[in-house]
Amino acid sequence: MTESALLHAEEQGSLEGVIKGEVLRMYQEVAEHPEGEFHFYHGREAAEMFGYEPEWLDRAPPGAVASFAGVGNPHVRSRLRAGEVVLDLGSGAGLDSIIAGWQVGPTGGVVGVDLNPTMCRKAEAHAAASGVRMACHEGRMEDIPLPDASVDVVISNGVINLSFRKRTVIRELFRVLKPGGRLSITDIVSAKQLSQSIVNDPKLWAS
Amino acid sequence: MLALLEDAGFKRVRSTIVPGFAFRKESTRDAAEAYGVKAVLFTAQKAGT
Repeated sequence: MTESALLHAEEQGSLEGVIKGEVLRMYQEVAEHPEGEFHFYHGREAAEMFGYEPEWLDRAPPGAVASFAGVGNPHVRSRLRAGEVVLDLGSGAGLDSIIAGWQVGPTGGVVGVDLNPTMCRKAEAHAAASGVRMACHEGRMEDIPLPDASVDVVISNGVINLSFRKRTVIRELFRVLKPGGRLSITDIVSAKQLSQSIVNDPKLWAS
Repeated sequence: MLALLEDAGFKRVRSTIVPGFAFRKESTRDAAEAYGVKAVLFTAQKAGT
């Protein structure tokens, strides 16, 4: 590796660390203070905007609904069946895991993965209160802490865009899915290359 | 994202724009519009054995 490439890698590694901290801070803020104002819609208002069934939102724990910070509705095309195992990548406060858990039923299961261990415990508590079997693992989406070919379906909602290494994330999703497995993910994409000032700003990137 | 999914080996890769997605803050909404930022639903399948 040349000196400049090494320097670039070091800078990127450092920026990734800062962004990871900012992502943790921002989404913990949504979970702990859902009454706050954020630049994105969240909570029940956002879930209704994306077509979540009102009965789901009435039935789920209020804390899971209030902290919802997705960008769409991955359940529209997930076609979940009883007995399936679902990975919710970036499970947050657990609303999508709970909805998936209701669909796969007691013979299936939901595995959450989240960067933030506090959010994992919160999601598990919300799931348990909803009658859903969920185990949440603290981990990075670029290195999913699950064995190869261990899940039937991956859902995710507004998470992959936060990664600097999207290609690695997608490869990880392929690895953990069983043959014949499928994914249904909603995320933010940009038609144009983001300016360097945005890429280098942890607050904007975490947004 | 579509290319990343296909490169990883996924089949039946599909995308649909999420209707109704927007940022709450006007300044963020304007910047997002300038960059063509959209929310998209992606589906794909890993080939069976």
